[in-house]
Amino acid sequence: MSAVTECRYRAAKARQHVVRMVRSSGAGHMGGALSCIDMVTALYFHTMRLPAHDGPWPDAATYLREADPGRDRFVLSAGHKCMAQYAVLAEAGYFPLEVLDTYGKLGTKIPGHPDMWKLPGIEANTGALGHGTAISLGMALGLRGTDARVFTILGDGELPEGSNWEAFAAAAHHRAGNLVAIIDVNGLQISGPVTEVMNMEPIAAKLEAFGWQVWEVDGNDMAAVIELFDALPVGTEKPQAIIARTVKSKGLSFAEGRVEYHYWKPKPEQLAQAEAETQAAVSEAEVQR
Amino acid sequence: MSIGELRDPRKTFGAAIAAVAEADERVVILSADSGKSSGFTDFAAKHPDRYFELGIMEQCATGVAAGLATTGKIPVFCAIAPFTEVRPYEMVRNDVGYMRQNVKIAGRNAGISYSDLGSTHHSLEDFAVMRMIPGMTVIAPQDPTEIEAAAQAILAHHGPVYIRFGNDPIPELFEPGEFVIGQARLIRELAAPGRPAVTIISTGALTNAAIGAAELLDAAGIDVELLGMPTIWPVDGAAVRASAAKTKRVFTVEEHYVLGGLGTIVQEVLDGTGVSVTKLGIPHEYATSGPYLQILSSYGLDAEGITEAIQRSING
Repeated sequence: MSAVTECRYRAAKARQHVVRMVRSSGAGHMGGALSCIDMVTALYFHTMRLPAHDGPWPDAATYLREADPGRDRFVLSAGHKCMAQYAVLAEAGYFPLEVLDTYGKLGTKIPGHPDMWKLPGIEANTGALGHGTAISLGMALGLRGTDARVFTILGDGELPEGSNWEAFAAAAHHRAGNLVAIIDVNGLQISGPVTEVMNMEPIAAKLEAFGWQVWEVDGNDMAAVIELFDALPVGTEKPQAIIARTVKSKGLSFAEGRVEYHYWKPKPEQLAQAEAETQAAVSEAEVQR
Repeated sequence: MSIGELRDPRKTFGAAIAAVAEADERVVILSADSGKSSGFTDFAAKHPDRYFELGIMEQCATGVAAGLATTGKIPVFCAIAPFTEVRPYEMVRNDVGYMRQNVKIAGRNAGISYSDLGSTHHSLEDFAVMRMIPGMTVIAPQDPTEIEAAAQAILAHHGPVYIRFGNDPIPELFEPGEFVIGQARLIRELAAPGRPAVTIISTGALTNAAIGAAELLDAAGIDVELLGMPTIWPVDGAAVRASAAKTKRVFTVEEHYVLGGLGTIVQEVLDGTGVSVTKLGIPHEYATSGPYLQILSSYGLDAEGITEAIQRSING
């Protein structure tokens, strides 16, 4: 069993968990969750050093207090894609799968944007866009002198927030080579194509000009993602940026690349189709595994 | 150091923080091109690994502070007050407040103390906006000894803190002592039963003017209980209620808008008690520019102005 087949299987399961959450809530930010979920899976199941723990964490406070301080950190700057992180954390055993059935319910530990004091495994409260990179930079500076790394995923629709560019400049200035920012370029935001709403291209050239080492990858190609994550330099002084070209709603045939699925309120027959498609993907990945 | 001696509040704060940081390696300093004016020049030279210059990017500085705090550091971000509160407010609310991080935000040149630089550089809403963040402690020391003691207290306190102080040198009013967050300081007690009595509750550097007003009022036959309120939030409600019960007339004095600040907080505490609260502060407008003390006087925020306002109120 290779890392790639294992991660493909886990990503297929995670997609199934996303649909499960949408069933619970009746709606959710599905499109972006499914564009970045392969990379989130690869981070948790292959790349990041996770805190050792026997079974699910009892609660968020225990996690924050007791999780190995030398662990790698993951910050979802594009917090609305949280179903991807919830799904992967559940799959990785941070909390029982049944918690996924509380999405959208009163008092849930998995709100529509992540809360580090509610769910074990969440490292930062994101949701307002343009916050994650500065928080991640602070973590990276605080972890300097250890070999821990900080990974953050931003959306391409998030890039017009000026605070991102403050943090991009500061990360290079402070030589935060232990910071990896992944831009999930699915090309769509709520009102249309990102390049039409506010064109931030060429993103790679801009980040290079800001002093980052920039990589590009197909963010839905698990083999390519893992190959790139393995190739990221360690001990470097340059912060690392990955421009990940992805497909919004990847994995749901009727929704892939369609802007109206940014926030999805499924009709019953659509939900049934989504469940069938994600189940088929899991079965196929299980065979490969 | 002695009572009445004038000291720079910014340098006093910087030196006090640096002294703790010498012994506690968790303390890190963040600057938005503001470290030198905040008294951290020596610390920066001695501990470059614990001093982070962010340049003029206060949103980033606030987020970075929160991130650092998640790793166990105790970040102190000191800059010109409005650029630590309203400029990065969403970062203060979400990254520091909502994430419950142990970040200390110090607004220097606060209130109207960047007097001639105009309204962009005034912070007359900081009490109001910062206390709206659940879990945030808001502190406005009244003299250099309180700045020093508060610097130690906020570093010992686990949780987000906003502390503000001014620009001009301010006199020592008190003997050095411990700063207990959330505790009022009874500066002057009622002396002569039978005379008309009022409570003055003041905060920040204006407590000096309130002390002067209390003396003038005393000479004019009005007894004053003066409560210094160096912690704006959480407010010492018990002290407010106890004094108000004695005098039934409360005046608040602050270098802040009369909306949303100490006066509003005191009014909330006394809600339903029938005690009248008169709020002395800056009117809700874009304040005038000019020399600091002249601005304060023009708004009636000196000993004479406070005295007149109280006499006017009592005499109807």
